[in-house]
Amino acid sequence: MATARPGWSRRAQYGLFFSFLALIAGILIGLILLAISTLAPARFATIRGAALDITGPVASAFHEVTATVEGVFTGAGDYWDAAGQNGKLKRERDEMRREIIEARAVLQENRQLKAVLQLREHEVKTVAVGRLVGSSLGSTRRFAILSTGANDGVRIGMPVRSPDGLVGRVIDTGAFASRVLLASDRANIIPARLLRGGIPVISQGRGDGTIDVRPLEVGRNPFKRGDIIITSGTGGLYPPLIPIARVIRLDDDGAVALPLADPSNISFAVVEPPYEPAAQAETP
Amino acid sequence: MVRAALATKRRMGRGPLPFAAFAPMMSVIVASLLAALPVVTTSGWFPDFGFLVLISWRLLRSDPWPAWWAAPMGLVNDLFTGLPIGFSVALWSATMLALDLVDRRTMWRDYWIEWVLAAVLLTIDEWLQWRIAAISGARVPFLAVVPPLVISIFVFPLSAWLVSRLDRWRLGR
Repeated sequence: MATARPGWSRRAQYGLFFSFLALIAGILIGLILLAISTLAPARFATIRGAALDITGPVASAFHEVTATVEGVFTGAGDYWDAAGQNGKLKRERDEMRREIIEARAVLQENRQLKAVLQLREHEVKTVAVGRLVGSSLGSTRRFAILSTGANDGVRIGMPVRSPDGLVGRVIDTGAFASRVLLASDRANIIPARLLRGGIPVISQGRGDGTIDVRPLEVGRNPFKRGDIIITSGTGGLYPPLIPIARVIRLDDDGAVALPLADPSNISFAVVEPPYEPAAQAETP
Repeated sequence: MVRAALATKRRMGRGPLPFAAFAPMMSVIVASLLAALPVVTTSGWFPDFGFLVLISWRLLRSDPWPAWWAAPMGLVNDLFTGLPIGFSVALWSATMLALDLVDRRTMWRDYWIEWVLAAVLLTIDEWLQWRIAAISGARVPFLAVVPPLVISIFVFPLSAWLVSRLDRWRLGR
């Protein structure tokens, strides 16, 4: 160890010694903070929100640039195969027209049935509308940054959805930006059911952009490829009937599904109040 | 480190930049801020940029910043990347300490040893992130963090090269 001595200078020796002490103090402070932030995450809500207010607007500004560039490229791509695309779109339109007529009939029937049952419609209220401007780039957790925050009334625990389906829920709020726990995060467990048949299932993210779905009742695997998973509204946080994901692969006792609202590809996300307001207080 | 001695062109009258002492710290913070890039990824295979630049600097030279700066830089990284607060504070301080100890033990260093050291540190970083995520309710199989780990190990030489260029630029060499 003699070689590590920075010469005979007492001052240099003390300097080295104190830098070691400072590093050990840094490690200890870090561990204490880490313990607090894993055991009581709400403790640092304000400071995390302030940091979001710095990152959020930066990401929003960059987002405009990349969206424009991407728009130019996909726009050019659309001209490439215009004739083929035209035919395909026409076929799709005809198919959709038939489906729309069917849906209208179902809707009418539904309205009549509801009138008979005297069910009250659950009106959808919108708290705020924002864009997903960034996301966690790291490995295990799946967060996204939403370009709207507490100034617009966004609170921790509110569900976030897009026209395509469920995105996730708010876990951090700054004044102008908030952080969303995506449906594909491992810690996001959503009570759901199968659109076909209404079998209750549990949806849990896999951390890699896909979602694990398992039936609540153990037994035969109820999933088929292409099945749509929707929220059930159980627990009161997520409103019912929001599409979550589409099954792409079966495994032994459940299935792997792909979120319908692809976070990298949605333009707008809507923040809604919790389905039953009491549920907001319970979420950490 | 003697890499600077390999430089050929030396111009007269050029000294260190006025902010040379703060350039390494600022580059680490800029790397942490890359988390604000408008990239919405669903797989999360990006490396931990802040940590990558931190170890690149520390492996390049032993005095990029006073040792205790690692803790506040770690706090900045935690705030911007959404890691649990305190994770990078502890890990980055421990990394500085560990590399100080490694510096005392190693007889000689070359690119391969630096790369192996970086690979070990990046593995520890990914593993700890995975453990912390598991503790806070996001338990994923370890195989899921292997691709980002491999990517960050292969990105390290690039980051080390960038940092060495930055070092020469700030010192006016």
